[in-house]
Amino acid sequence: MHRLAFLAAASAVALAAPAQAEPLKIGIIESLSGAQTSTGRLYANAVEYGVDQINKAGGFNGEPVQVTEYDNAGGAPEAADKFRQAVADGVDIIFQGASSAIAGQLTEDVRKHNIRNAGHEVMFINLGGEAMELTGEKCQFYHFRFTTTAPMRVNALVNAMKADGDLGTKVYSINQNYSWGQDMQKAVEAAADTGGYEVVGEVLHDVNKIQDFAPFVARIKAAAPDTVFTGNWSNDLLLLMKATGDAGLDVTFATAFLDQPGNIANAGKTAIGHYIANNYDNAASDGKFAEDYKAATGHYPIFVEGHSAFALAQLKQALDTLDFGGGEIDVTKIALALEDSTYDSPVGPSSVRKADHQTIRPVVVSKVVENPKYPADDTDMGFQTVKVVPGEDAIYPVQDSCQMKRPGE
Amino acid sequence: MEFAIVSTLNGVTYGLLLFMVSAGLTLIFGMMGVLNFAHASFYMLGAYVAYAVSSAFGFLAGLVVAPILVGIVGMLVERFLLPRVHAHGHAHELLLTFGLALIIEELIKLFFGDFPVNYQMPGDLRFSAFTIFGSDYPFYRLFIGGMAVVMFALLWLLLTRTRTGIVVRAAERLPAMAEALGHNIPVVFMAVFGTGAALAGLAGAVAGAFYPTNPNMGIELGVIVFVVVVVGGLGSLKGSLLASLLIGLFSSFAVGLDWSLAGLFGLVGLGDWARAIGGLMTLKLSSVSATIPFALMLLVLLVRPAGLMGERN
Amino acid sequence: MGSMRILALLAVLLALLIAVPPFLDLSWQNALVNVLIASLFALAFNLLAGQAGLLSFGHAAYFGIGAFAALHLMIAVEDGLAFPTPLLPLAGAAAGFLAGLVAGYFATMRSGVYFALVTLAIAELLHSLAPHLAGTFGGEAGISSMRMPWQGIVFGSMLEVYYLTLGWVMLCGLGLWAYTRTPFGRLTLALRDNEQRVLFLGYDAHRAKVVVFAISAMASGVAGSLLAISNETANYSLFATDVSAQVVLQTFVGGSTVFFGPVIGATLFTLFSFLISDLTRSWVFYQGLIFVLVMLFAPTGIGGILYELVRHRRQLDWSRLAWPALQSILGGLLLAGGIVYLTETAAVLFGQDYAMRRSGAAGALPPYELFGIGWEPAGVLTWLLPAVLLLGGGGLLVAGRRQIDGVRGRRSAPAADAAPLGGTP
Repeated sequence: MHRLAFLAAASAVALAAPAQAEPLKIGIIESLSGAQTSTGRLYANAVEYGVDQINKAGGFNGEPVQVTEYDNAGGAPEAADKFRQAVADGVDIIFQGASSAIAGQLTEDVRKHNIRNAGHEVMFINLGGEAMELTGEKCQFYHFRFTTTAPMRVNALVNAMKADGDLGTKVYSINQNYSWGQDMQKAVEAAADTGGYEVVGEVLHDVNKIQDFAPFVARIKAAAPDTVFTGNWSNDLLLLMKATGDAGLDVTFATAFLDQPGNIANAGKTAIGHYIANNYDNAASDGKFAEDYKAATGHYPIFVEGHSAFALAQLKQALDTLDFGGGEIDVTKIALALEDSTYDSPVGPSSVRKADHQTIRPVVVSKVVENPKYPADDTDMGFQTVKVVPGEDAIYPVQDSCQMKRPGE
Repeated sequence: MEFAIVSTLNGVTYGLLLFMVSAGLTLIFGMMGVLNFAHASFYMLGAYVAYAVSSAFGFLAGLVVAPILVGIVGMLVERFLLPRVHAHGHAHELLLTFGLALIIEELIKLFFGDFPVNYQMPGDLRFSAFTIFGSDYPFYRLFIGGMAVVMFALLWLLLTRTRTGIVVRAAERLPAMAEALGHNIPVVFMAVFGTGAALAGLAGAVAGAFYPTNPNMGIELGVIVFVVVVVGGLGSLKGSLLASLLIGLFSSFAVGLDWSLAGLFGLVGLGDWARAIGGLMTLKLSSVSATIPFALMLLVLLVRPAGLMGERN
Repeated sequence: MGSMRILALLAVLLALLIAVPPFLDLSWQNALVNVLIASLFALAFNLLAGQAGLLSFGHAAYFGIGAFAALHLMIAVEDGLAFPTPLLPLAGAAAGFLAGLVAGYFATMRSGVYFALVTLAIAELLHSLAPHLAGTFGGEAGISSMRMPWQGIVFGSMLEVYYLTLGWVMLCGLGLWAYTRTPFGRLTLALRDNEQRVLFLGYDAHRAKVVVFAISAMASGVAGSLLAISNETANYSLFATDVSAQVVLQTFVGGSTVFFGPVIGATLFTLFSFLISDLTRSWVFYQGLIFVLVMLFAPTGIGGILYELVRHRRQLDWSRLAWPALQSILGGLLLAGGIVYLTETAAVLFGQDYAMRRSGAAGALPPYELFGIGWEPAGVLTWLLPAVLLLGGGGLLVAGRRQIDGVRGRRSAPAADAAPLGGTP
């Protein structure tokens, strides 16, 4: 909240307005400064766009939906602090995407807040925290994950690349040594049978601390794989691909975050032919959403913007089924309505699995090509859709560790 | 054998890059006793200046302009900012450069955005120098290494074999005496600081085209550079070179070695016991390779604080 | 100023801190908790940096260790251990003290820049190892727990957490202050000013330094555990360089030579980030700028200046100083306005959104909005305004300062009480 402005506005409202309907308040707790600013900014953009769409259609509860940005500076302790500020500002729904660690912090904060403040619940829509534990050990009723997880991405990649004949029989897995990378590694091991490949080597490395990936490339080369699976993001992906390209190593990369802005431009021609599995790609849709987004924001949706906007669209659908008659907003009812919603996104339907609040959602597998319909990073390269794997094929069973307590239980 | 040769090659070139960045820091500390926290920021500034210039005037222009501009920034800092805090001791100099590092990083984000910028080497330099065990070895890596070697040679000759070098060293040892002999000490110090900054700028311009140029590159390399300078011996050029190569080689070899403490205990038959403890015991060397330099730095600071080649103890 | 007067001042402050918060809204209560924690951490840090003359660049280590220790105890309480919740920071204190003894033993073998580097290395080592040691530090997601009720106090509301924090911060803050009054506290200052003489007096300087280090780490640990209690989680990012850096910034902006100086810095920076961080993306830049300006123009920090003013309040000719002082402040404000204007303008013009709009406008420079007003990028007013602000403000400030110097007879600020750092390993 722009607290100074808020203070002024609040006093003005108190003076001027008679009884007003309670607006729905959305808080974005994102990395808006620090190392992951670039990604945090994109999540915030998309949420703002989605809220604009809701407000254009008349808002909610007789009022425009209010949206506030909070900067968590990329750290979990700061996020906890900003969560308390958001609660103080009366926020009903929290959105966050960059970093699983912060998502883990927020989901715990939300859980504890709701235990202590029954009747004034807050819910958390997770746009990008892909750690399995968020819908496993830490799963809870007020957390919703509107993104894929490692097994979904890996299964989709294996499925599409095999059909395309690009998978090969020898697979290498290189990942960052934290929960997301470990999840990826496990998913690659688990998909070996269905994919008909052998994992010829795997390595976990420090997160965004390695400057020189040439030694890792040497290690990959020694294992002679056909395909390299990696969940790396940011510098770790870029450096890895550059080093591979420089060594002239002929492997196909199967990635999760190749569409992060700057990656294609920095990797150059090295990027061509590599795969990515993600939530959405402009080329996989009929293009209508992309044009609408561009008309509103000045650019086509990139990286995480697309699927984050869909999360808001799905929330809008859920909100449309509710009517609080201008009275108090009941977040639990919103959560229940969201559980029942199914949103037809431009790449296929998405719905919430009640048991763990993971969304069952399509996964788009694309490949980097020259002269695509939507070029990336002002280059002549971009993504071409290989296959859209429907949600029911990509989803995995609910984890045993998830013991969700539903409201009223 | 293949592993050893490839790792050595990679380690040496990476080490030489580290040397290129740390040479300026060593120079400044050795001559002036100022531990410049903003050094890695100068490196980043060099990359961004080179990016901005090269997108208009070509790669070579960037390579020339970046060190000059960063060198000027360095001289301005030395001339106008450092003297103000000098009286309050080295701690305040350290703090000032620390603040400058923050400012430079934020300014770069302000003007160039948070994403990596598209700073690339020209196509003419993008070829493989030779092929080893079936994989190409990029020419640019050798180019970086070559630059570093030339830099070392020039600096060393300058300091030990020329008149200027003698004046500089005299200014460092006995500033009052050197001044009494008619040398303009403030100008000497300004030149030293400027040269140190320019070297960082040059390193940024060269390395930025190979590694991604983004607002985090300063922080990412900054701490490692400190490690190099400390391990080598604060102020010792030869020490820096040695430490750079050591850390470069180490990072390169560690990747290929899935060693752990449990494995070590396994050699004496205590493997199962160590594995049962878990935690530190089962961490693989390859997954914590970025941690080792700090341990090394700590060890050197405690056992031999002057560093491997440091003169003062 | 006599210590009685200081105590009276503190009593008033304490009364305010106790009486006011119930009437504040939740976000201010939360901000005050952060202010208190940052203040304690800065005081603890300054015991080492300001008083013992040992500049640590890795104090996040002890802050973080304290947080994890308190949280592990909190988990045990949640699992049924009968331990009073308000005493959780004892775990942080104990862990901080032990870690401080060990780390301090090694770190204080060196002095000056080398000491700073050893502490930096220790913190970095922890930061990079912690996420791999899931058992102790809970991986990158960290560990979390919940405050358990004790003696009818639920510790669910922010206000209860606030009073708990206030109690501990007051206790430790006063404890640290009392410490400086003891003979050993005096010895700490002597370590900074002349270590040789301490040796000649027959003291074991190394042992004394280790003790100071451990006490500083202990208080840092308490600060960390208060954060853990307030957040109910601890995460390896507590060991990050940013955390170490923040406390350095706060302490030196506040003034390391005055005991309560760090509190000023911590309060200022915490409130600054509370009020500004969601308002502008450039707030880290402003923070850095403030720090550098303070380092350049007021190396003794805000506390140092205030202290000087209070000490010389009788010698100063206030009637002749008031006008130039006002003029300088006005000049400073105009200058700040100009800098903020330019920074925010640059943030817009070089921002991604503007680049997108420019490409939409076929290379032309479309107008933009800033501070609620529309601006033309090529307009005269757009650039005249900052020029006027900068030149006018700069002129006023320089002129004001010159007059002040004139009145005070060019008595330059005392620089002698700076810490002699740098020296030999």
